[in-house]
Amino acid sequence: MAGHRGPGGARKPEREMEDFQLEQMEQETEEMLRVRYLDDKNAKFERTGTGFLSLRIGEEFYPRVLVVRMFPFSDKNEFISIRTAEERSKEIGIVEKLANVSRETVEMLEEQLTLRYFTPIIQKINKIKDEYGFAYWNVVTDHGECNFTIRMGGNSVIHLSETRILIMDIDENRFEIPDVSQLTVAERRKLDLFL
Amino acid sequence: MILLYELSEDNKELCGLGDGEEIYYCLPLDIDLKGDYRSNSYTVMTNRRLLILEEGKLTREFQLAECDSIHSEPQIACGILFVEKGGEQILLGRFTAKHLTRYSYLSRGMLILKRGRTERVVSHEYEKSCPKCGRGLPNTSECPRCSGKSMGFFKDYMMMVKPHTGTMIVILLLMLLSTAVGLLSPQVQRYLVDDLLTVEGRRYGEALPCLAAMLLLALGAIVINVGKNYMCARLGSYISADLRHKVFDKIQQLSLSYINDRSPGQLMNRVVRDTRRIKDFCSEVFCNLFTVIISFVFVLIYMLFMNWRLALMAFVFVPISIGLSIGFRKMIHRRFHMQGKKSDKENSKLQDVISGMAVVKSYGQELREAEQFDETADAYAKVQKGNETFFAIFFPILTFLLGLGSYLVTFFGGRATLLGTLTPGELLQFITYASMLYGYVGQLSNLPRHLMNLVTSMERISDVMNQEPSIYDGDEAVDLDIQGEITFQHASFGYKSYQPVLEDINLKVKKGEMIGLVGASGTGKSTLINLIMHLYEVDDGAILIDGVDIRKIRLEKFHSQIGVVLQENFLFAGTIFNNIRFAKQDATYEEVIQAAKMANAHDFICQTPDGYNTYVGEHGYNLSGGERQRIAIARAILSNPRLLILDEATASLDTESEYLIQKALERLTEGRTTFAIAHRLSTLKDADRLVVIDGHHVAEMGSHDELMQRKGIYYGLVKAQLQMQSTKKVPKAV
Repeated sequence: MAGHRGPGGARKPEREMEDFQLEQMEQETEEMLRVRYLDDKNAKFERTGTGFLSLRIGEEFYPRVLVVRMFPFSDKNEFISIRTAEERSKEIGIVEKLANVSRETVEMLEEQLTLRYFTPIIQKINKIKDEYGFAYWNVVTDHGECNFTIRMGGNSVIHLSETRILIMDIDENRFEIPDVSQLTVAERRKLDLFL
Repeated sequence: MILLYELSEDNKELCGLGDGEEIYYCLPLDIDLKGDYRSNSYTVMTNRRLLILEEGKLTREFQLAECDSIHSEPQIACGILFVEKGGEQILLGRFTAKHLTRYSYLSRGMLILKRGRTERVVSHEYEKSCPKCGRGLPNTSECPRCSGKSMGFFKDYMMMVKPHTGTMIVILLLMLLSTAVGLLSPQVQRYLVDDLLTVEGRRYGEALPCLAAMLLLALGAIVINVGKNYMCARLGSYISADLRHKVFDKIQQLSLSYINDRSPGQLMNRVVRDTRRIKDFCSEVFCNLFTVIISFVFVLIYMLFMNWRLALMAFVFVPISIGLSIGFRKMIHRRFHMQGKKSDKENSKLQDVISGMAVVKSYGQELREAEQFDETADAYAKVQKGNETFFAIFFPILTFLLGLGSYLVTFFGGRATLLGTLTPGELLQFITYASMLYGYVGQLSNLPRHLMNLVTSMERISDVMNQEPSIYDGDEAVDLDIQGEITFQHASFGYKSYQPVLEDINLKVKKGEMIGLVGASGTGKSTLINLIMHLYEVDDGAILIDGVDIRKIRLEKFHSQIGVVLQENFLFAGTIFNNIRFAKQDATYEEVIQAAKMANAHDFICQTPDGYNTYVGEHGYNLSGGERQRIAIARAILSNPRLLILDEATASLDTESEYLIQKALERLTEGRTTFAIAHRLSTLKDADRLVVIDGHHVAEMGSHDELMQRKGIYYGLVKAQLQMQSTKKVPKAV
């Protein structure tokens, strides 16, 4: 490693430089380890007016934050990570429970969550036709009627639990059936091939 | 991929195009901000403006000149579009995952237009479903149906059988023979009963020829069936061997991106299991198919002809039992499917625990794992028990129902015989035919399931066969003897095009130069190397080898001139000798030994029990990481490549083997264009130039000294590594 000392550079400033870098790295590590919970007292969310959300925590200001679920399947309203909008996004803080912040804040956070996650819930299965390696679905979801296509024989249908399934179409859109046992017998019969 | 959707006249009017203004891109905004589906909303980009049309209204309008940039940001199973203008991000709309890839081209298109250029961005990616008929596409450029290359499964099957037409004809003849023999036997029986046994005054001796005929027919049936089954099994194995060969060839041709999308198990299943299923169909179902159908029809007609009333009676319960078995088929299928699923679950659980045994043991979780396994095993046993019970009840009932007809036939037929309207022989023949008929019905009712299996397997195989490799030799591909000059021209690439890994890479590497690639993990160093090796194709821009576009160089020739040493080197099952000789199959002993010596591998090879004949690979002689590495280097030296790739070739090695490998590498890299990736920066000290990759771009480039002076990213990385070493020492000092 000795060969990697910079050429020329005076000894003393380099020493200082190293100390500074070390300090900075340690500080960053500390920051990474810290869990900061956000609530209405320490954090002020605000709509940007252009569709996004900004956050002010005391001196810190973030013009746009990302709102991310840590447990999107098991607990979608708990442990919401608030992150910077850069590509290598860092965590700013955590909203532990949506139930613990004011209604206004919940509304703002939910707007961003709605924007980020798109998994229509299938309410009614009109038709499933399988033909040569693909299955064509016609369903009614909570976002309206929809046609989609899945690949047969792949991992298109994922079981989140015994009765809850997630369906992935060829474009990587997601659809959810929260409780298969709630479907009618006729619908379940159509679904049988995939269960 | 379509980047310009057709707009209705009304929508076009809304755009209010000016003079010389032209629509360049038009993409659907198929959901609103809340996620509700809609069908009449679009993002339109002309050469001057960006427009948002929502449900028959023009809702937003931007001059391209006033926008800094346009972004499409992938979300979870959807995406959003926003512009950046005066440091502010303005959300414009939302779209489903169907259009994610399309939107990623928009920002590139905008940059081109803003610079005043007029070319349109073209996407070479394939549509996922046919824009005309809406059918899913198996990764092909054209819809196999719309383009007329329809691949109905019958046609596919015929294609497979075609090379074996001779065998097929023999099988068909045997089928006919077997049918004839099957139908003849009851006829002889009738003759025996009516004309010999029940006629007064006939003697025992006269029955003998008749019995002999029956014996001959029985023997004939056996011979014919053995012959037929043999031919069918042969046809099946030929077809499946053919298919395995073709599927394997195809998998090798396909580019890595296809292979990486699928698990090895999945691909292995296609080669092994699906082809076996097709074989099973040929040898078990197909071989009896025609026999059963022809016999069924014949028997039916014959029975109706003999005595239509009795025939109807025999048949009266058949529709009921067919109806029953069809009605229960879905349920049976589901039960089987469930059982299969549970058994899969048990298997994968078992595999999981056995392969992770070290972790389970070291955390003392044996008991919990045992409990969990018990649970899955119990669940499986329960389903299995249920199914067995079901079948134990269902099938006897079904058989009974089916057989009910023969009671009727016996009763009414017996009465008719007593009344003298039917001879005993005819009755016997009738009952024999009826029971044959029931057998055929049973076989025919299984046919749909067998066909189903065949169709799914054929589907999976044609999924592979219909793939078009994304990297292939074009018509104008040339054999190029590489000198070693490599140029990147505005090269961009992402494994998914909406997530770029490398953007606008420009780099010129001279012949024989050694380039060290530096950057944090995940920045795209290995990707860059994959591009040089032409395992993937650039999305945009070009890579030139000695001034020739890499896409125009014949792949096999190109790859034979590249040597690769990776961190984890794969050794094939075989001897050390064969592994070194992998890239040059005709190398002599001398050449291999010379290469091994240059790779500092000769000495340890001599110390293994079987020398160069030592068997390595799975279940073979255990080589250490450093030893594998040196075999890989020997492999690379032997192939005498013009272009050398070292991807973390010295990572995770102890100091002594690293020294040996460094020495070996020095000999290897001499005079060859070399790209080396290393996290341990000291490994790159011999590099002529270092290229630092960060944020999808080449961030810094120059020699070690130049980059240290610049005090940029490279300087930071070097410092950080030095400090890591010093912090490690701290606890000792305290």
